[in-house]
Amino acid sequence: MTDRHSAPRPRRALLPLASVLLISAALIVPDQALSGLVRLDDPGGPAAGELRALIRSLPERPLLLVGFDPDLGTYAEIRPAVRAMLDDLFRHEARIGIVSFSPEGRALAVAEIDRLRRAGFEDDRLVDLGYRSGAEAGLIQTIELVVPDAERGLVANGIRIAGGGLDAFDMVLLVGGTDFGPRAWVEQILPRLPDLRLAAIAPTVLGPELAPYRRTRQLIALVATLRDNAAYVEMVRGGPAPPPDTSGGDRPADAAAMLVGLLVTLGILGETLLRRAAWRQPGPRS
Amino acid sequence: MRRSLALNLLLVVGCLLLVDLLLVNTWIGAFAEMVREWIVLLAAAAAVAGVIALAARHLADLRAGRGDRIGSVVLLLGMSGMLVAGLRPGAAGTTDPAVQWLTGALLVPLAASVVALVFVFLLSAIRRSARAGGRETAVMLGATAAVVILMLPIGGRPGEVLADAARWTLAVPIGAVFRGLLIGVAVVGAVSALRVLLASDADD
Repeated sequence: MTDRHSAPRPRRALLPLASVLLISAALIVPDQALSGLVRLDDPGGPAAGELRALIRSLPERPLLLVGFDPDLGTYAEIRPAVRAMLDDLFRHEARIGIVSFSPEGRALAVAEIDRLRRAGFEDDRLVDLGYRSGAEAGLIQTIELVVPDAERGLVANGIRIAGGGLDAFDMVLLVGGTDFGPRAWVEQILPRLPDLRLAAIAPTVLGPELAPYRRTRQLIALVATLRDNAAYVEMVRGGPAPPPDTSGGDRPADAAAMLVGLLVTLGILGETLLRRAAWRQPGPRS
Repeated sequence: MRRSLALNLLLVVGCLLLVDLLLVNTWIGAFAEMVREWIVLLAAAAAVAGVIALAARHLADLRAGRGDRIGSVVLLLGMSGMLVAGLRPGAAGTTDPAVQWLTGALLVPLAASVVALVFVFLLSAIRRSARAGGRETAVMLGATAAVVILMLPIGGRPGEVLADAARWTLAVPIGAVFRGLLIGVAVVGAVSALRVLLASDADD
């Protein structure tokens, strides 16, 4: 039987090379040029619409907390949706505090805060609440006090006037990652503050874990698949009055390239299944 | 039965945090808050100790000429670079532009690349296990192929059907399995905590 490992080296390299070339070619072709043949977003999915409607239903100049704990590996997937959400919040005149409970989340939060400040969002709209160590223990401490003593500015003072803890906020928006995610908030905070409203954006890998919390309304909105992420970005950026775009051209994954990559994967899986059937055939093996 | 000091401490702290969750009492609340403060400090100290231990281990490996020497050098250089960028005189810590550049231009793309490689290694692992045979491998192959098909980003009516099917799969079968897992994990966690609190696992 001819085996992949016994094939000549140039032949073995052919498939990966062809795959890379195909995906690269698909990256060059803009999705619009394929006129409806490829589509990443999910127009019928309710998740993106729920998050959008939730942000639209906020009171005037709402006070919001963003629990920013994505991880370095999966942030690339949710970054466009997170940036669209932040832009959408600022269009609604929201006052935002950003806090992190994981070191990776903090590193990414610093970059996002810097991006927002460069886009013109100053201390009257945005406050950096920093990094809290101790994971769940640090999270529980924020129930009483979330603003560092040294922090000044209108938003920081607004949080202090409203009590200084988590119940000062109209809503908490969570950006989840594999180290520290919305699950910790649901498990640790909701039993102590049952009226706190939580919504989340998370990578696809966390979707199955968080979907039950969405069904029980412990998370009042959840955007946690690539399709929902793309639909949310499309909804925010493509609406009748889109917010100022501070994303620097950041868009969800290229649909055509993703389609080619997935088709290649299907091809490999199919070939493996066929080979497996051949290996299981009775008879002498070479 | 003799209990260790650590176990006694665990028992007291566990009971205290549990009572604090169930009862509203100023004194218990203040004491629980103090314990949480200790936990936060301990976690921070453990993180620093972990970094020091990692650096010491790789320095020792380099000195002894064992292990992956190139990997150790890269790790130590990376750690030094980040520490110098954030702690040099006049630096602003995590908000320093040099730290932000290192994070945005190096750390994030590198970590995303490692996660992307998981896909390649997973495919390779699937091929190897298919060679080994077994019904579980066939089930895994079938499930993987089904998920890949559901994820295909195609437009028009077929795309809508796939998106609906993906949504249903996540909400019903996968959601049911994960809901069961979450309940199971919670029950096992509670039972394990109870066993530790009651010191029935003292030998562990």
